[in-house]
Amino acid sequence: MSINDNSDILSVGTLVNIRHSGYGKSKIVEYRGPLGPHGAHIYRVRVRRKPTPAYIEVREDQLEVITPRKTR
Amino acid sequence: MSSASLQRWQSVSMIRLAHIEAQCIATTTLAPPNPELAEENLRAFVLLLSSHFQGFCRELYTECTQVFAISLSAAMQPTIQAQFSAELKVNGLNPTAENIRKDFERFAFQINFDADPKNAPRITQLGHLNKWRKSIAHHSVTPPAGIPALTFANVQGWKSSCDGLAIWLNSIMFTELSRILGAPPC
Repeated sequence: MSINDNSDILSVGTLVNIRHSGYGKSKIVEYRGPLGPHGAHIYRVRVRRKPTPAYIEVREDQLEVITPRKTR
Repeated sequence: MSSASLQRWQSVSMIRLAHIEAQCIATTTLAPPNPELAEENLRAFVLLLSSHFQGFCRELYTECTQVFAISLSAAMQPTIQAQFSAELKVNGLNPTAENIRKDFERFAFQINFDADPKNAPRITQLGHLNKWRKSIAHHSVTPPAGIPALTFANVQGWKSSCDGLAIWLNSIMFTELSRILGAPPC
């Protein structure tokens, strides 16, 4: 799929928190496209790996990117 | 009203499938003939057609879910989104009429394919497409029993049926979301 403006698209593998949810650190596993209202970017996020994976699809504005802690 | 998913189906998927269709035609007119290549192209056409239609169903479902979710408070949205995402059939299974029904009926209504008389042959052809898709993907030696042979004309018919179902499903979901939300979805 062609994406006209992919400068603001989060990469697969990005660690995120989902606002207003009880999920801990989660990982983006798929960019679903501009399928949200008014073309909002939608991401498929894995919220649990074990015992079985669990996923959720959310809008970009619901995500907070977890910035890697700087190491010396 | 066309969803983003339907627009993508029509402007991307159908165009790409038309390229594959042209390729199938081209390989049948090769000189000297190459029937093995023609058959492989036809098989690829089936797989890609099923793939694109499954992609449309996934995207339409996601789009409907997000329209529904954003109508709720921010605190409730992840809960609803998690429910809509759980155990989704079209994510990993073939886009059969039954799997489409099971997923989209999560919006608390009954999908009645028979409401449109044109859907009966479309559903039949979707079934043929999915059976051939499974046979091809699993490299079955014997063709699936009881369904039409794998011919270019038949695959073209399946493509047309998928297109008709895509337009119909888009229309149905637009109507249902309008009913649920009390206004046409944005």
